[in-house]
Amino acid sequence: MKILIADDSRVMRQIVTRTLRQAGFDGHDLVEAQDGKQAFDLVQSEKPDLVISDWNMPEMTGVECLRQLRANGNNVKFGFVTSECTPEMMQQAEAAGAEFFIIKPFTAERFDEVFSPILG
Amino acid sequence: MSDVAALRVEDLSEIVEQVWSSYLDPEGVEPLLPVYDDIDSMKTDMHASVSITGTWHGHVVVACNESAAKNTSAAFLAMEVEEVGEADMMDVLGELANIVGGNVKSMLPPGCFVSLPTVVTGEAPHYPSAEPVCRLAGTWMSDPFVITMWQSRGDGGEAA
Repeated sequence: MKILIADDSRVMRQIVTRTLRQAGFDGHDLVEAQDGKQAFDLVQSEKPDLVISDWNMPEMTGVECLRQLRANGNNVKFGFVTSECTPEMMQQAEAAGAEFFIIKPFTAERFDEVFSPILG
Repeated sequence: MSDVAALRVEDLSEIVEQVWSSYLDPEGVEPLLPVYDDIDSMKTDMHASVSITGTWHGHVVVACNESAAKNTSAAFLAMEVEEVGEADMMDVLGELANIVGGNVKSMLPPGCFVSLPTVVTGEAPHYPSAEPVCRLAGTWMSDPFVITMWQSRGDGGEAA
């Protein structure tokens, strides 16, 4: 599978990559985006199977990116890895069509729980 | 409006424990050891912060020294301390402030926004229209870590 990791922090992109590996999800094709706008563009050009996105990013937030994708008829599996978790954000994520909501700091166990049904 | 009681040091402590167990001390052998006395004398010269606006106004600042920033970066990035560069430390401390600030937001009244992180070296940032309302200090591998919440006066951020 091709996975797009969108986060404005290089550190967090690296930690997400490492945690995927620790959770046993090796061998996937990983692509990185540094903000929501780049994520939006890369979803069109790279056609990933899954997007793991931060929420708060420059240019375009994660949820704006998701809304824009859905408005364009793109149904890529999309979810959030974010340090912010409030009921209203989770509602917004769900309403926008998000598949998952992972809160930072996260563990490999949490990744396993969320991504096993998606990545197998 | 906002309730200062929502910003207890125990809450900060819980967030910090999660960060340590996830990234800085996954084996549980090198915890952040709490410091209760003489916190003001703890020397920190790297400060990462996020601002919170909305129904509550303030700042969350994570402060440490360079040695702590190097160890933190090495742990976050899974690299040797000697390999850690300036950009790594900036990025890692910013992410640390983002994680703590984002989790703090979850404890505040609905309708708050967290800024992107800022990292500065040297003098600690001071917020003239705010005051510290909650502070957690500790040492990790003998180096200081101080996490402070500043609450703006008035405008929904009435300090205690």
